[in-house]
Amino acid sequence: MAQFTSEVFQNEFLADGGTDVHAIVRVTCAGAGQTRLGGEVDAAEILIVDTSGSMGPNGILQGRYAATVALNEITDGTWFAVIAGNHVGTLVYPAYGPQQMVRMDARTRQEAVNSVQMFRADGGTAMGTWLTKAKEVFLTVPQVVQRHAILLTDGTNEHETRDQLTWAIQSATGFFQCDVRGLGDRWQIEEARRIASALLGTVDLIPSPDRMAAEFQRLIKASMARGVASVDLRVWAPQGAQVLFVKQVAPDLEDITTKRSQVNPLTAAFPTGAWADETRDYHVAVRLPAKSIGQEQLASRVQVVVDDQVQVQALVKATWSNDDALTTRINDQVARYTGQAELAAAIQDGLAAKAAGDDDGATRKLGRAVQIAASSGDEEMTSRLKKVVDIDNAEAGTVRLKKGVERLDEMALDTASTKTRRVKK
Amino acid sequence: MSTHTEGVRTMAHCPACGAERAPDAAFCEQCGHDFASGVPTPAAAGPVSTRAGETQTRHAPVRAQTAIDGEESPLDVGWTGPLVRGDAGAAAALDPTLPSAADRCLQCGTGAFLDGYCDTCGAKAPNPRDHFAESPAEWIGGVCDIGRRHVHNEDGMALLGSVRPLQQGVLVVCDGVSNTTDSHIASLAAARAARDVLDDPVPHAMGLPDLLVAALEKRLAEAVVAARHAVIAIHPDPDAPTPPSCTFVAAIIEDGLAVVGNVGDSRAYWLPDAPESTPRQLSQDDSFAAEQIREGMPRKQAETGPQAHAITRWLGVDSPEDLTPHTQSVRLAEEGWLLICSDGLWNYCSDADDLRTLVASTVTALGPHGRHPTTLAGALVDFANAAGGVDNITATLARVGPTDPPPTAPPQAPALPSQSPMPQQSDGEERPDGPVHE
Repeated sequence: MAQFTSEVFQNEFLADGGTDVHAIVRVTCAGAGQTRLGGEVDAAEILIVDTSGSMGPNGILQGRYAATVALNEITDGTWFAVIAGNHVGTLVYPAYGPQQMVRMDARTRQEAVNSVQMFRADGGTAMGTWLTKAKEVFLTVPQVVQRHAILLTDGTNEHETRDQLTWAIQSATGFFQCDVRGLGDRWQIEEARRIASALLGTVDLIPSPDRMAAEFQRLIKASMARGVASVDLRVWAPQGAQVLFVKQVAPDLEDITTKRSQVNPLTAAFPTGAWADETRDYHVAVRLPAKSIGQEQLASRVQVVVDDQVQVQALVKATWSNDDALTTRINDQVARYTGQAELAAAIQDGLAAKAAGDDDGATRKLGRAVQIAASSGDEEMTSRLKKVVDIDNAEAGTVRLKKGVERLDEMALDTASTKTRRVKK
Repeated sequence: MSTHTEGVRTMAHCPACGAERAPDAAFCEQCGHDFASGVPTPAAAGPVSTRAGETQTRHAPVRAQTAIDGEESPLDVGWTGPLVRGDAGAAAALDPTLPSAADRCLQCGTGAFLDGYCDTCGAKAPNPRDHFAESPAEWIGGVCDIGRRHVHNEDGMALLGSVRPLQQGVLVVCDGVSNTTDSHIASLAAARAARDVLDDPVPHAMGLPDLLVAALEKRLAEAVVAARHAVIAIHPDPDAPTPPSCTFVAAIIEDGLAVVGNVGDSRAYWLPDAPESTPRQLSQDDSFAAEQIREGMPRKQAETGPQAHAITRWLGVDSPEDLTPHTQSVRLAEEGWLLICSDGLWNYCSDADDLRTLVASTVTALGPHGRHPTTLAGALVDFANAAGGVDNITATLARVGPTDPPPTAPPQAPALPSQSPMPQQSDGEERPDGPVHE
């Protein structure tokens, strides 16, 4: 059984009339890997590999290799399948007999490896059909509740409507998790984000086909380590209070506020998917009715819930004070993650403005991003930003848009914007 | 700000009370046990109720003699009958824990306290240390309250009273110095340590009043030493930047004679009922204000000046060498009130005449319960809170003369957890010497 612990970072002191309480809740899971190795958890894994015409001979070659590497990482006993995606989703393995998932063993692994050698670059791209196919395949082993897929795409979702993709995403939401990887520079980050965000996964850029295998290996390893199938974050707020937002802020930035489902009138649950031995940070913001100076109250109970059982609870507090020394201090963790969220928004909005031809907006937003990155000493993000803008004054945030920017650099900046760095205590 | 909570394996039954637990419960519905903490809540810790019951048998026989075993003298006439403590199992309650989950939240009226906070409105569960009452006998009672402005209740009190009025009684009030560390722990420990010393009856000195006064004064001096040791025990390091410290005022009552002693600026007053009798302050402040008054400054001006609350003597690791209490005795021969209080009360009514007027009008306002000491003490605390409640407030009273019954609903918040149920509220049948009052 995995063990969860939690920590709260906040400044509980509110000034007279203050209403908004911000806290970082750090949740750590230990012992999840043991569970998985011990065979307590049955898990299913599907590889979805883009085999559209745009993949080309080299892309397909690397796709075969990456799928082979991934198959080798899937632990024995795991239910698995391989789907090839173009304008339709096709079950590549198991392709014959009853088309249902099989358990990994030496024989099925070899059969699957043989099957992926038959990938051909052909046809268009309709990712919705891939997701629908994956759900159909997962349903062949309905007793397995931990479901994860990797989706690799190299292009835009051209061969179905936006609504069709939306419908497919909605149908898969809450049913399986999916990490999305984009190969090269012709895919749409926005589309990939829609999928991954709804399906509790991550998005990243694979700049060139030869990097696919390593990324697939990393993703499968991570998936195999997840021994807790489904974890909910429950957020209680007092009567009359309002949960402003709940965001995962580390290791990736993901606003999960809209994923809420009501447990009882005062408690909402937010799905966080499967967990390995890992630590995730959540930023919880609650608006309270102001109380008088000296009053203390609970602003939120943040609970980690598995199978309807509360594993651990963190208490977020509020105390009203007229001591400026207490109330004006912003907790370091809250401040840093708030800054990282603002940085991500500035980058994404700036790149979106640039793509829409709004150079003034793009300059302003990316200038702000440069400013935040510089003030927080985020050198990695500063160097990524430098590939897109020329910096005149980082402190003031004055920049000029670069001419002839590599699209890959822009995409790398965009996908990197949601990766946060944990703040040391 | 950081708090840390340990994760635990979940289970189907409450480890504290054995009740079945709902699958998603973080706390036991039955006893309020926090499944995440592993520590039983007071409600779950069974011995609480039995401990209070034991008190009667544990303490009464011990007080049957006044000298050490084998050295009893016929002159030792200190036997006063069974005593009832204001707080059973005092030692366990120095750091009051959370009230039980059964208590309803007073803020929203609907929620219950799960983890120290209301499960509906989030209000913090009241800390029993912040407001508690003691009613050891019908003629002795007191209320200790955090006031309106302070974060901690750094006042402490400890009371004791014989069933028969004026036979034996102890009232101790200690006011923790607010800019020192853990004074709220120190003051209560000090008050209780002093009470335990004063609890030992003194030899009655062959009926010679002067010798009895001297013996009681000596006992008060010993109580000061014990109280100081209790304070030091909280933080023994003499080099600590702000070691805890507190004031001391106590009254010991023996067969109608009261002797009071004080160190610091907590006070004792004798407030006779009869208008023709003169009320007076029995204690002498160790404060700059008092020094200024002695030098001729008007009381009001001195007590509201910038240095009014700077005290010149206190109990603590860094206290002055001479801690001999100022003492004063009074024969409790006419009806009236002996008031032992902290500055949280006398800040708003310092003069003995004014205090008597306040007490008289409060008694009248309380109607049929006016002469119930704990009820009156609560009303005096309310008065100080209404006037601003700038400091912690403690008012303890011994009644000389007829008393009134308490209101049926307890006028005060529940006392410290270890003393509920309060044995003295229902001990009528067990009294060895029967009801004393009308």
